Amino acid sequence: MKTTTIAKPRETAPDTTGPAPAKRRRKLNLTPYLFLAPSLFGVLAFLLLPVAIVAVVSLFKWELLDSPTFIGLENYRKLAGDGDVRHSLWVTVLYVLLSIPVQTVIALGLALLLNQKIRGVKFFRALFVVPWMATPIVMGVVWTWIFDPANGALNKFLGVFGVDGPNWLSDTAFALPAVAAVQVWQYAGYNMLFFLAGLQGIPGELYDAADTDGASKLRQFVHITLPLLNPTMFFVLVTNIIGSFQVYDTLYVMTEGGPDKSTEVLNFRIVQTAFQEFDFGYASAMAMLLFALILVFTVVQVRFFNRRTTYDIS
Amino acid sequence: MRTIPKKSLIYVALVVGAALTLFPYLLVALTAFKDRGQLFSTAPWLPAFPPTTSNIDKLIDSGFLTYVGNTALMTTVLTLGQLVFTTFAAYAFARMKFKGREFLFWCYLATMMVPNAVTMIPLFLIMREMELVNTWFGLLAPYLLGTPYGIFLMRQFFRTIPADLEDAARIDGAGPLTVLWRILLPLSRPALGTLAIITIVTTWNNFLWPLIITSSDDTKVATVAIATLKQNIGSDYNLMMAGSLIALLPMVLIFLFFQRFIVRSVVLTGLK
Repeated sequence: MKTTTIAKPRETAPDTTGPAPAKRRRKLNLTPYLFLAPSLFGVLAFLLLPVAIVAVVSLFKWELLDSPTFIGLENYRKLAGDGDVRHSLWVTVLYVLLSIPVQTVIALGLALLLNQKIRGVKFFRALFVVPWMATPIVMGVVWTWIFDPANGALNKFLGVFGVDGPNWLSDTAFALPAVAAVQVWQYAGYNMLFFLAGLQGIPGELYDAADTDGASKLRQFVHITLPLLNPTMFFVLVTNIIGSFQVYDTLYVMTEGGPDKSTEVLNFRIVQTAFQEFDFGYASAMAMLLFALILVFTVVQVRFFNRRTTYDIS
Repeated sequence: MRTIPKKSLIYVALVVGAALTLFPYLLVALTAFKDRGQLFSTAPWLPAFPPTTSNIDKLIDSGFLTYVGNTALMTTVLTLGQLVFTTFAAYAFARMKFKGREFLFWCYLATMMVPNAVTMIPLFLIMREMELVNTWFGLLAPYLLGTPYGIFLMRQFFRTIPADLEDAARIDGAGPLTVLWRILLPLSRPALGTLAIITIVTTWNNFLWPLIITSSDDTKVATVAIATLKQNIGSDYNLMMAGSLIALLPMVLIFLFFQRFIVRSVVLTGLK
Protein backbone atom coordinates (compact mmCIF):
# COMPACT_ATOMS: atom_id res chain seq x y z
CA MET A 1 0.00 0.00 0.00
CA LYS A 2 1.58 3.22 -1.09
CA THR A 3 0.96 6.27 1.02
CA THR A 4 1.33 8.56 -1.96
CA THR A 5 -1.44 7.15 -4.11
CA ILE A 6 -4.08 9.64 -3.05
CA ALA A 7 -1.77 12.63 -3.03
CA LYS A 8 -3.33 15.42 -5.02
CA PRO A 9 -1.34 18.06 -6.87
CA ARG A 10 -2.90 20.91 -4.90
CA GLU A 11 -1.66 19.49 -1.62
CA THR A 12 1.36 21.39 -0.48
CA ALA A 13 1.72 19.60 2.82
CA PRO A 14 4.72 17.32 2.77
CA ASP A 15 4.64 13.63 3.40
CA THR A 16 5.34 12.95 7.03
CA THR A 17 6.99 9.63 6.52
CA GLY A 18 10.35 11.18 7.30
CA PRO A 19 13.54 12.21 5.63
CA ALA A 20 13.97 9.00 3.67
CA PRO A 21 10.54 8.39 2.14
CA ALA A 22 11.86 6.06 -0.55
CA LYS A 23 12.77 3.48 2.06
CA ARG A 24 9.73 3.79 4.31
CA ARG A 25 7.10 4.16 1.67
CA ARG A 26 6.70 0.44 1.18
CA LYS A 27 5.05 -0.29 4.49
CA LEU A 28 1.73 1.09 5.67
CA ASN A 29 2.22 4.16 7.78
CA LEU A 30 0.10 3.71 10.88
CA THR A 31 0.74 7.12 12.44
CA PRO A 32 -2.21 8.93 10.78
CA TYR A 33 -4.60 6.22 11.85
CA LEU A 34 -3.31 6.33 15.42
CA PHE A 35 -3.80 10.10 15.47
CA LEU A 36 -7.32 9.70 14.15
CA ALA A 37 -8.34 6.68 16.22
CA PRO A 38 -9.93 8.38 19.25
CA SER A 39 -11.99 10.87 17.28
CA LEU A 40 -12.92 8.26 14.71
CA PHE A 41 -14.22 6.03 17.47
CA GLY A 42 -16.19 9.00 18.80
CA VAL A 43 -17.72 9.81 15.42
CA LEU A 44 -18.60 6.17 14.77
CA ALA A 45 -19.96 5.33 18.22
CA PHE A 46 -21.69 8.57 19.14
CA LEU A 47 -22.80 10.02 15.79
CA LEU A 48 -22.95 7.50 12.94
CA LEU A 49 -24.08 4.50 14.99
CA PRO A 50 -26.86 6.55 16.67
CA VAL A 51 -28.13 7.70 13.27
CA ALA A 52 -28.25 4.07 12.13
CA ILE A 53 -29.96 3.03 15.37
CA VAL A 54 -32.58 5.75 15.16
CA ALA A 55 -33.39 4.71 11.58
CA VAL A 56 -33.74 1.07 12.62
CA VAL A 57 -35.66 1.75 15.84
CA SER A 58 -38.14 3.86 13.87
CA LEU A 59 -39.27 0.60 12.25
CA PHE A 60 -40.05 -1.01 15.60
CA LYS A 61 -42.66 -0.76 18.24
CA TRP A 62 -40.55 -0.31 21.35
CA GLU A 63 -41.95 0.97 24.60
CA LEU A 64 -40.10 1.34 27.88
CA LEU A 65 -38.92 -2.10 28.96
CA ASP A 66 -40.80 -4.14 26.35
CA SER A 67 -38.73 -5.95 23.79
CA PRO A 68 -38.96 -4.31 20.38
CA THR A 69 -41.29 -5.70 17.70
CA PHE A 70 -40.73 -5.06 14.03
CA ILE A 71 -43.67 -3.18 12.51
CA GLY A 72 -42.20 -1.91 9.25
CA LEU A 73 -43.37 1.55 8.28
CA GLU A 74 -46.25 1.57 10.76
CA ASN A 75 -44.72 4.42 12.81
CA TYR A 76 -44.43 6.56 9.70
CA ARG A 77 -48.03 5.79 8.73
CA LYS A 78 -49.08 6.87 12.21
CA LEU A 79 -46.90 9.97 11.86
CA ALA A 80 -48.68 11.04 8.68
CA GLY A 81 -52.06 11.03 10.39
CA ASP A 82 -50.98 12.35 13.79
CA GLY A 83 -52.69 15.65 14.57
CA ASP A 84 -50.28 16.39 17.44
CA VAL A 85 -47.29 16.04 15.15
CA ARG A 86 -48.89 18.21 12.49
CA HIS A 87 -49.62 20.79 15.18
CA SER A 88 -46.03 20.68 16.46
CA LEU A 89 -44.71 21.15 12.92
CA TRP A 90 -46.92 24.20 12.57
CA VAL A 91 -45.70 25.56 15.92
CA THR A 92 -42.11 24.99 14.76
CA VAL A 93 -42.73 26.99 11.59
CA LEU A 94 -44.44 29.70 13.60
CA TYR A 95 -41.52 29.84 16.00
CA VAL A 96 -39.09 30.28 13.11
CA LEU A 97 -41.27 33.01 11.60
CA LEU A 98 -41.55 34.82 14.93
CA SER A 99 -37.86 34.71 15.81
CA ILE A 100 -35.71 34.70 12.67
CA PRO A 101 -36.89 37.84 10.79
CA VAL A 102 -36.77 40.07 13.90
CA GLN A 103 -33.46 38.61 15.02
CA THR A 104 -31.91 39.07 11.57
CA VAL A 105 -33.12 42.66 11.16
CA ILE A 106 -31.80 43.61 14.60
CA ALA A 107 -28.49 41.88 13.89
CA LEU A 108 -28.10 43.72 10.60
CA GLY A 109 -29.12 47.02 12.19
CA LEU A 110 -26.57 46.62 14.98
CA ALA A 111 -23.89 45.71 12.45
CA LEU A 112 -24.63 48.85 10.42
CA LEU A 113 -24.40 50.97 13.57
CA LEU A 114 -21.20 49.30 14.70
CA ASN A 115 -19.58 49.57 11.29
CA GLN A 116 -19.33 53.35 11.77
CA LYS A 117 -16.16 55.02 12.86
CA ILE A 118 -17.28 56.12 16.29
CA ARG A 119 -15.74 55.91 19.74
CA GLY A 120 -16.42 52.87 21.88
CA VAL A 121 -17.36 50.71 18.93
CA LYS A 122 -15.27 47.77 20.18
CA PHE A 123 -16.87 47.98 23.59
CA PHE A 124 -20.36 47.76 22.13
CA ARG A 125 -19.41 44.92 19.79
CA ALA A 126 -18.21 42.87 22.75
CA LEU A 127 -21.20 43.81 24.88
CA PHE A 128 -23.78 42.66 22.35
CA VAL A 129 -22.18 39.20 22.22
CA VAL A 130 -22.60 38.65 25.98
CA PRO A 131 -26.04 36.94 25.71
CA TRP A 132 -24.61 34.37 23.29
CA MET A 133 -22.74 32.84 26.24
CA ALA A 134 -25.73 32.86 28.57
CA THR A 135 -27.04 29.48 29.66
CA PRO A 136 -30.44 29.04 27.91
CA ILE A 137 -31.88 27.17 30.90
CA VAL A 138 -30.91 29.98 33.26
CA MET A 139 -32.10 32.67 30.87
CA GLY A 140 -35.41 30.83 30.50
CA VAL A 141 -35.85 31.17 34.25
CA VAL A 142 -34.79 34.82 34.23
CA TRP A 143 -37.21 35.69 31.42
CA THR A 144 -40.00 33.81 33.18
CA TRP A 145 -39.46 36.29 36.01
CA ILE A 146 -39.44 39.20 33.54
CA PHE A 147 -42.71 37.93 32.03
CA ASP A 148 -44.37 37.28 35.40
CA PRO A 149 -47.89 38.72 35.06
CA ALA A 150 -48.21 40.38 38.48
CA ASN A 151 -44.69 41.38 39.55
CA GLY A 152 -42.49 40.87 36.49
CA ALA A 153 -40.39 43.70 35.09
CA LEU A 154 -42.24 43.84 31.76
CA ASN A 155 -45.76 44.28 33.13
CA LYS A 156 -44.50 46.62 35.86
CA PHE A 157 -42.86 48.69 33.15
CA LEU A 158 -46.02 48.65 31.01
CA GLY A 159 -47.97 49.63 34.12
CA VAL A 160 -45.95 52.84 34.33
CA PHE A 161 -47.67 53.86 31.08
CA GLY A 162 -51.04 52.62 32.30
CA VAL A 163 -50.95 49.52 30.10
CA ASP A 164 -52.28 46.31 31.60
CA GLY A 165 -49.87 43.64 30.31
CA PRO A 166 -51.15 40.15 29.54
CA ASN A 167 -50.27 36.94 31.35
CA TRP A 168 -47.53 36.33 28.80
CA LEU A 169 -46.54 32.73 29.33
CA SER A 170 -50.01 31.42 30.21
CA ASP A 171 -51.75 32.98 27.22
CA THR A 172 -51.87 30.91 24.03
CA ALA A 173 -51.53 34.11 21.98
CA PHE A 174 -48.42 35.40 23.75
CA ALA A 175 -46.46 32.38 24.98
CA LEU A 176 -44.75 31.52 21.69
CA PRO A 177 -43.83 35.13 20.83
CA ALA A 178 -42.44 35.50 24.37
CA VAL A 179 -40.18 32.47 23.98
CA ALA A 180 -39.16 33.68 20.52
CA ALA A 181 -38.25 37.05 22.04
CA VAL A 182 -35.76 35.30 24.33
CA GLN A 183 -34.07 33.75 21.32
CA VAL A 184 -33.88 37.16 19.64
CA TRP A 185 -32.35 38.61 22.80
CA GLN A 186 -29.81 35.81 23.00
CA TYR A 187 -28.62 35.55 19.40
CA ALA A 188 -29.16 38.92 17.65
CA GLY A 189 -25.84 40.28 18.93
CA TYR A 190 -23.96 37.13 17.98
CA ASN A 191 -25.33 37.26 14.44
CA MET A 192 -24.37 40.93 14.29
CA LEU A 193 -20.74 39.75 14.16
CA PHE A 194 -21.35 37.87 10.90
CA PHE A 195 -23.01 40.89 9.28
CA LEU A 196 -20.19 43.09 10.54
CA ALA A 197 -17.66 40.79 8.92
CA GLY A 198 -19.72 40.87 5.74
CA LEU A 199 -19.94 44.67 5.77
CA GLN A 200 -16.20 44.98 6.28
CA GLY A 201 -15.68 42.83 3.20
CA ILE A 202 -17.45 45.35 0.96
CA PRO A 203 -14.89 47.59 -0.82
CA GLY A 204 -15.23 51.22 0.26
CA GLU A 205 -14.69 52.45 -3.32
CA LEU A 206 -18.17 51.29 -4.22
CA TYR A 207 -19.64 53.80 -1.79
CA ASP A 208 -17.24 56.53 -2.92
CA ALA A 209 -18.39 56.02 -6.50
CA ALA A 210 -22.03 56.08 -5.42
CA ASP A 211 -21.38 59.27 -3.46
CA THR A 212 -19.94 61.02 -6.53
CA ASP A 213 -22.99 59.90 -8.49
CA GLY A 214 -25.11 61.53 -5.80
CA ALA A 215 -26.86 58.35 -4.70
CA SER A 216 -28.64 58.66 -1.35
CA LYS A 217 -27.59 56.55 1.64
CA LEU A 218 -30.78 54.56 1.35
CA ARG A 219 -30.18 53.81 -2.34
CA GLN A 220 -26.61 52.82 -1.49
CA PHE A 221 -27.91 50.43 1.15
CA VAL A 222 -30.45 48.84 -1.18
CA HIS A 223 -28.22 48.65 -4.27
CA ILE A 224 -24.76 48.06 -2.81
CA THR A 225 -24.90 46.84 0.78
CA LEU A 226 -27.77 44.36 0.61
CA PRO A 227 -26.73 42.60 -2.64
CA LEU A 228 -23.14 42.27 -1.46
CA LEU A 229 -24.30 40.96 1.91
CA ASN A 230 -26.26 38.19 0.19
CA PRO A 231 -23.88 35.34 1.10
CA THR A 232 -23.74 36.47 4.73
CA MET A 233 -27.50 36.90 4.85
CA PHE A 234 -28.02 33.44 3.42
CA PHE A 235 -25.59 31.86 5.85
CA VAL A 236 -27.12 33.62 8.86
CA LEU A 237 -30.66 32.71 7.82
CA VAL A 238 -29.98 29.04 7.15
CA THR A 239 -27.90 28.35 10.25
CA ASN A 240 -30.39 30.17 12.47
CA ILE A 241 -33.39 28.40 10.98
CA ILE A 242 -31.67 25.07 11.61
CA GLY A 243 -30.92 26.24 15.15
CA SER A 244 -34.53 27.31 15.70
CA PHE A 245 -35.77 23.88 14.66
CA GLN A 246 -33.93 22.56 17.68
CA VAL A 247 -35.04 24.98 20.37
CA TYR A 248 -35.63 23.12 23.61
CA ASP A 249 -34.10 24.50 26.80
CA THR A 250 -35.96 27.82 27.02
CA LEU A 251 -39.24 26.09 26.20
CA TYR A 252 -38.60 23.47 28.84
CA VAL A 253 -38.35 26.00 31.65
CA MET A 254 -40.64 28.74 30.35
CA THR A 255 -43.74 26.93 29.11
CA GLU A 256 -43.17 23.14 29.06
CA GLY A 257 -44.89 23.17 25.68
CA GLY A 258 -48.02 24.84 27.02
CA PRO A 259 -50.38 26.51 27.46
CA ASP A 260 -52.61 24.12 25.56
CA LYS A 261 -49.63 22.87 23.46
CA SER A 262 -49.28 26.34 21.94
CA THR A 263 -45.47 26.21 22.29
CA GLU A 264 -44.97 22.52 21.62
CA VAL A 265 -42.44 22.47 18.78
CA LEU A 266 -41.52 19.20 17.05
CA ASN A 267 -38.23 18.90 18.92
CA PHE A 268 -40.11 19.14 22.21
CA ARG A 269 -42.68 16.55 21.07
CA ILE A 270 -39.83 14.15 20.21
CA VAL A 271 -38.13 14.37 23.59
CA GLN A 272 -41.52 14.14 25.29
CA THR A 273 -42.48 11.01 23.35
CA ALA A 274 -39.14 9.35 24.02
CA PHE A 275 -38.46 10.26 27.63
CA GLN A 276 -41.87 10.93 29.16
CA GLU A 277 -43.98 8.42 27.25
CA PHE A 278 -41.01 6.08 26.60
CA ASP A 279 -42.28 5.32 23.11
CA PHE A 280 -38.83 5.00 21.55
CA GLY A 281 -39.97 3.60 18.21
CA TYR A 282 -42.43 6.37 17.47
CA ALA A 283 -40.09 9.07 18.82
CA SER A 284 -37.39 7.75 16.47
CA ALA A 285 -39.73 8.11 13.49
CA MET A 286 -40.38 11.72 14.55
CA ALA A 287 -36.65 12.30 14.93
CA MET A 288 -36.18 11.05 11.35
CA LEU A 289 -38.74 13.61 10.22
CA LEU A 290 -36.87 16.42 11.98
CA PHE A 291 -33.61 15.10 10.56
CA ALA A 292 -35.07 15.19 7.04
CA LEU A 293 -36.19 18.79 7.51
CA ILE A 294 -32.76 19.86 8.72
CA LEU A 295 -31.11 17.88 5.93
CA VAL A 296 -33.05 19.86 3.32
CA PHE A 297 -31.83 23.15 4.74
CA THR A 298 -28.27 21.88 5.09
CA VAL A 299 -28.14 20.64 1.51
CA VAL A 300 -29.43 24.01 0.31
CA GLN A 301 -26.70 25.70 2.31
CA VAL A 302 -23.89 23.46 1.12
CA ARG A 303 -25.06 23.77 -2.50
CA PHE A 304 -25.07 27.51 -2.19
CA PHE A 305 -21.71 27.83 -0.56
CA ASN A 306 -19.89 25.11 -2.40
CA ARG A 307 -17.25 25.29 0.26
CA ARG A 308 -17.50 26.53 3.79
CA THR A 309 -17.06 30.24 4.08
CA THR A 310 -14.58 31.65 6.53
CA TYR A 311 -15.09 34.96 8.22
CA ASP A 312 -12.77 37.07 10.27
CA ILE A 313 -13.02 40.48 11.83
CA SER A 314 -10.11 42.85 11.87
CA MET B 1 -22.47 70.18 11.54
CA ARG B 2 -24.73 67.43 10.25
CA THR B 3 -22.58 64.68 11.69
CA ILE B 4 -23.10 65.58 15.33
CA PRO B 5 -26.83 64.78 15.63
CA LYS B 6 -26.36 61.64 13.51
CA LYS B 7 -23.67 60.40 15.85
CA SER B 8 -25.72 61.05 18.92
CA LEU B 9 -28.60 59.13 17.36
CA ILE B 10 -26.29 56.18 16.85
CA TYR B 11 -25.23 56.38 20.48
CA VAL B 12 -28.83 56.54 21.66
CA ALA B 13 -29.63 53.38 19.67
CA LEU B 14 -26.51 51.62 20.97
CA VAL B 15 -27.18 52.56 24.58
CA VAL B 16 -30.79 51.36 24.35
CA GLY B 17 -29.56 48.10 22.80
CA ALA B 18 -26.94 47.75 25.52
CA ALA B 19 -29.54 48.34 28.24
CA LEU B 20 -31.81 45.65 26.79
CA THR B 21 -28.85 43.30 26.44
CA LEU B 22 -27.72 43.72 30.02
CA PHE B 23 -31.10 44.07 31.71
CA PRO B 24 -31.65 40.33 32.42
CA TYR B 25 -28.21 40.18 34.06
CA LEU B 26 -28.99 43.27 36.13
CA LEU B 27 -32.30 41.74 37.14
CA VAL B 28 -30.53 38.57 38.31
CA ALA B 29 -28.07 40.56 40.39
CA LEU B 30 -30.78 42.75 41.93
CA THR B 31 -33.34 40.02 42.65
CA ALA B 32 -30.81 37.59 44.10
CA PHE B 33 -30.26 39.94 47.04
CA LYS B 34 -33.91 40.66 47.88
CA ASP B 35 -35.90 38.84 50.52
CA ARG B 36 -39.43 37.62 49.90
CA GLY B 37 -41.00 40.87 51.14
CA GLN B 38 -38.67 43.10 49.11
CA LEU B 39 -39.39 41.01 46.03
CA PHE B 40 -42.91 42.41 45.97
CA SER B 41 -42.40 45.78 47.66
CA THR B 42 -39.65 47.10 45.37
CA ALA B 43 -39.75 47.60 41.60
CA PRO B 44 -37.93 44.74 39.81
CA TRP B 45 -35.36 47.15 38.35
CA LEU B 46 -34.47 48.77 41.67
CA PRO B 47 -32.15 47.39 44.35
CA ALA B 48 -33.50 46.63 47.82
CA PHE B 49 -32.09 47.98 51.08
CA PRO B 50 -30.74 46.35 53.05
CA PRO B 51 -29.61 43.65 50.60
CA THR B 52 -29.76 40.12 51.92
CA THR B 53 -27.56 37.11 51.23
CA SER B 54 -30.14 34.75 52.70
CA ASN B 55 -31.13 33.40 49.26
CA ILE B 56 -27.59 32.49 48.41
CA ASP B 57 -27.00 31.00 51.86
CA LYS B 58 -30.15 28.94 51.54
CA LEU B 59 -29.12 27.58 48.14
CA ILE B 60 -25.61 26.78 49.32
CA ASP B 61 -27.08 24.96 52.34
CA SER B 62 -29.25 22.90 50.00
CA GLY B 63 -26.11 21.70 48.19
CA PHE B 64 -26.45 23.79 45.04
CA LEU B 65 -22.68 24.30 44.83
CA THR B 66 -22.23 20.54 44.36
CA TYR B 67 -24.14 20.79 41.08
CA VAL B 68 -22.12 23.79 39.94
CA GLY B 69 -19.01 21.81 40.88
CA ASN B 70 -20.26 18.91 38.77
CA THR B 71 -20.77 21.28 35.84
CA ALA B 72 -17.27 22.66 36.35
CA LEU B 73 -15.81 19.14 36.41
CA MET B 74 -17.74 18.13 33.29
CA THR B 75 -16.64 21.31 31.51
CA THR B 76 -12.98 20.82 32.44
CA VAL B 77 -12.83 17.18 31.37
CA LEU B 78 -14.69 17.70 28.11
CA THR B 79 -12.71 20.81 27.16
CA LEU B 80 -9.42 18.99 27.75
CA GLY B 81 -10.67 15.97 25.82
CA GLN B 82 -11.84 18.14 22.97
CA LEU B 83 -8.52 20.01 22.76
CA VAL B 84 -6.37 16.87 22.84
CA PHE B 85 -8.29 14.54 20.53
CA THR B 86 -9.35 17.28 18.14
CA THR B 87 -5.76 18.40 17.72
CA PHE B 88 -4.58 14.89 16.86
CA ALA B 89 -7.33 14.30 14.33
CA ALA B 90 -7.02 17.77 12.79
CA TYR B 91 -3.26 17.32 12.44
CA ALA B 92 -3.76 14.03 10.63
CA PHE B 93 -6.29 15.58 8.27
CA ALA B 94 -4.25 18.72 7.66
CA ARG B 95 -0.75 17.34 7.30
CA MET B 96 -0.65 13.59 6.74
CA LYS B 97 -1.37 11.60 3.65
CA PHE B 98 -3.13 8.33 4.09
CA LYS B 99 -5.57 6.11 2.34
CA GLY B 100 -9.17 7.14 2.84
CA ARG B 101 -8.38 10.62 4.08
CA GLU B 102 -10.80 12.49 1.84
CA PHE B 103 -13.57 10.00 2.49
CA LEU B 104 -13.10 10.10 6.26
CA PHE B 105 -12.98 13.87 6.31
CA TRP B 106 -16.18 13.97 4.30
CA CYS B 107 -17.79 11.62 6.85
CA TYR B 108 -16.74 13.91 9.68
CA LEU B 109 -18.23 16.91 7.89
CA ALA B 110 -21.45 15.05 7.21
CA THR B 111 -21.93 14.21 10.90
CA MET B 112 -21.89 17.92 11.75
CA MET B 113 -25.44 18.28 10.52
CA VAL B 114 -26.85 15.51 12.69
CA PRO B 115 -29.15 17.29 15.14
CA ASN B 116 -29.12 16.67 18.86
CA ALA B 117 -32.68 15.38 18.89
CA VAL B 118 -31.71 12.55 16.56
CA THR B 119 -28.79 11.28 18.63
CA MET B 120 -30.36 11.64 22.08
CA ILE B 121 -32.67 8.63 21.79
CA PRO B 122 -30.11 6.13 20.43
CA LEU B 123 -27.39 7.40 22.77
CA PHE B 124 -29.70 6.81 25.70
CA LEU B 125 -30.52 3.32 24.41
CA ILE B 126 -26.81 2.55 23.99
CA MET B 127 -26.00 3.78 27.49
CA ARG B 128 -28.93 1.85 28.94
CA GLU B 129 -27.76 -1.31 27.18
CA MET B 130 -24.26 -0.84 28.60
CA GLU B 131 -25.66 0.02 32.04
CA LEU B 132 -24.03 3.43 31.96
CA VAL B 133 -27.16 5.45 32.73
CA ASN B 134 -26.58 7.78 35.66
CA THR B 135 -22.79 7.44 35.59
CA TRP B 136 -20.10 10.01 34.96
CA PHE B 137 -18.86 7.92 32.08
CA GLY B 138 -22.25 7.94 30.40
CA LEU B 139 -22.53 11.69 30.89
CA LEU B 140 -19.10 12.47 29.44
CA ALA B 141 -18.43 9.79 26.82
CA PRO B 142 -20.42 11.21 23.87
CA TYR B 143 -18.50 14.50 23.94
CA LEU B 144 -15.11 13.36 25.19
CA LEU B 145 -13.36 12.36 21.98
CA GLY B 146 -13.60 15.63 20.08
CA THR B 147 -16.35 16.99 17.85
CA PRO B 148 -16.32 17.09 14.04
CA TYR B 149 -16.87 20.83 14.29
CA GLY B 150 -13.74 21.28 16.38
CA ILE B 151 -11.73 19.05 14.08
CA PHE B 152 -12.86 21.06 11.07
CA LEU B 153 -11.95 24.32 12.80
CA MET B 154 -8.46 23.14 13.79
CA ARG B 155 -7.75 21.52 10.44
CA GLN B 156 -8.58 24.75 8.63
CA PHE B 157 -6.28 26.63 10.96
CA PHE B 158 -3.39 24.16 10.62
CA ARG B 159 -3.59 24.48 6.86
CA THR B 160 -2.91 28.21 7.08
CA ILE B 161 0.43 27.57 8.77
CA PRO B 162 3.31 27.31 6.23
CA ALA B 163 4.75 23.82 6.05
CA ASP B 164 8.38 25.04 5.73
CA LEU B 165 8.86 25.21 9.49
CA GLU B 166 7.83 21.60 9.89
CA ASP B 167 10.03 20.53 6.98
CA ALA B 168 13.02 22.04 8.71
CA ALA B 169 12.18 20.26 11.97
CA ARG B 170 11.63 16.99 10.17
CA ILE B 171 14.99 17.20 8.45
CA ASP B 172 16.43 17.51 11.93
CA GLY B 173 14.76 14.21 12.70
CA ALA B 174 11.64 15.34 14.59
CA GLY B 175 8.71 12.91 14.61
CA PRO B 176 5.05 13.91 14.10
CA LEU B 177 4.43 14.30 17.84
CA THR B 178 7.39 16.66 18.23
CA VAL B 179 6.35 18.66 15.20
CA LEU B 180 2.80 18.98 16.52
CA TRP B 181 3.85 19.89 20.05
CA ARG B 182 6.82 22.14 19.31
CA ILE B 183 5.81 23.87 16.09
CA LEU B 184 2.13 23.69 15.25
CA LEU B 185 0.57 24.10 18.68
CA PRO B 186 2.52 27.20 19.74
CA LEU B 187 1.43 28.84 16.47
CA SER B 188 -2.19 27.75 16.96
CA ARG B 189 -2.99 29.54 20.20
CA PRO B 190 -5.79 31.70 18.72
CA ALA B 191 -7.56 28.69 17.20
CA LEU B 192 -7.07 26.60 20.34
CA GLY B 193 -8.47 29.49 22.36
CA THR B 194 -11.51 29.69 20.11
CA LEU B 195 -12.08 25.98 20.38
CA ALA B 196 -11.69 26.09 24.16
CA ILE B 197 -14.17 28.98 24.53
CA ILE B 198 -16.78 27.38 22.30
CA THR B 199 -16.41 24.05 24.10
CA ILE B 200 -16.57 25.65 27.55
CA VAL B 201 -19.73 27.59 26.66
CA THR B 202 -21.58 24.70 25.01
CA THR B 203 -20.61 22.27 27.77
CA TRP B 204 -21.46 24.61 30.62
CA ASN B 205 -24.85 25.31 29.02
CA ASN B 206 -25.64 21.71 28.04
CA PHE B 207 -28.96 20.61 29.42
CA LEU B 208 -30.74 17.92 27.44
CA TRP B 209 -28.15 15.15 27.61
CA PRO B 210 -27.47 15.58 31.36
CA LEU B 211 -31.23 15.70 31.93
CA ILE B 212 -31.72 12.42 30.08
CA ILE B 213 -28.73 10.47 31.32
CA THR B 214 -28.38 11.51 34.98
CA SER B 215 -30.78 11.14 37.86
CA SER B 216 -28.83 11.28 41.11
CA ASP B 217 -27.14 14.08 43.00
CA ASP B 218 -23.54 12.95 42.37
CA THR B 219 -23.90 13.50 38.61
CA LYS B 220 -26.47 16.29 38.59
CA VAL B 221 -25.24 19.43 36.82
CA ALA B 222 -26.24 23.05 37.40
CA THR B 223 -28.60 23.36 34.41
CA VAL B 224 -30.60 20.33 35.52
CA ALA B 225 -30.58 21.61 39.11
CA ILE B 226 -31.95 24.99 37.97
CA ALA B 227 -34.70 23.30 35.96
CA THR B 228 -35.64 21.13 38.95
CA LEU B 229 -35.62 24.18 41.19
CA LYS B 230 -37.92 25.92 38.72
CA GLN B 231 -40.39 23.04 38.90
CA ASN B 232 -40.34 22.95 42.68
CA ILE B 233 -40.16 26.60 43.73
CA GLY B 234 -40.72 28.37 40.41
CA SER B 235 -42.34 31.48 41.84
CA ASP B 236 -39.70 32.08 44.53
CA TYR B 237 -37.92 34.38 42.14
CA ASN B 238 -35.46 35.61 44.75
CA LEU B 239 -34.16 32.07 45.25
CA MET B 240 -34.32 31.30 41.53
CA MET B 241 -32.27 34.40 40.73
CA ALA B 242 -29.72 33.51 43.40
CA GLY B 243 -29.28 30.15 41.66
CA SER B 244 -29.09 31.89 38.29
CA LEU B 245 -26.44 34.24 39.65
CA ILE B 246 -24.25 31.36 40.80
CA ALA B 247 -24.71 29.49 37.50
CA LEU B 248 -24.05 32.56 35.33
CA LEU B 249 -21.12 34.02 37.23
CA PRO B 250 -18.39 31.72 35.86
CA MET B 251 -19.44 32.43 32.26
CA VAL B 252 -19.52 36.17 32.93
CA LEU B 253 -16.02 35.96 34.41
CA ILE B 254 -14.78 34.00 31.40
CA PHE B 255 -16.25 36.67 29.19
CA LEU B 256 -14.57 39.49 31.10
CA PHE B 257 -11.19 37.77 30.90
CA PHE B 258 -11.37 36.75 27.26
CA GLN B 259 -13.65 39.49 25.99
CA ARG B 260 -11.55 40.85 23.11
CA PHE B 261 -10.56 37.38 22.16
CA ILE B 262 -14.15 36.11 21.97
CA VAL B 263 -15.40 38.78 19.60
CA ARG B 264 -12.55 37.97 17.24
CA SER B 265 -12.82 34.26 17.58
CA VAL B 266 -16.54 33.57 17.64
CA VAL B 267 -16.70 34.20 13.93
CA LEU B 268 -13.31 32.75 13.10
CA THR B 269 -15.21 30.34 10.97
CA GLY B 270 -18.73 30.82 9.77
CA LEU B 271 -19.95 27.64 11.37
CA LYS B 272 -21.88 26.67 14.43
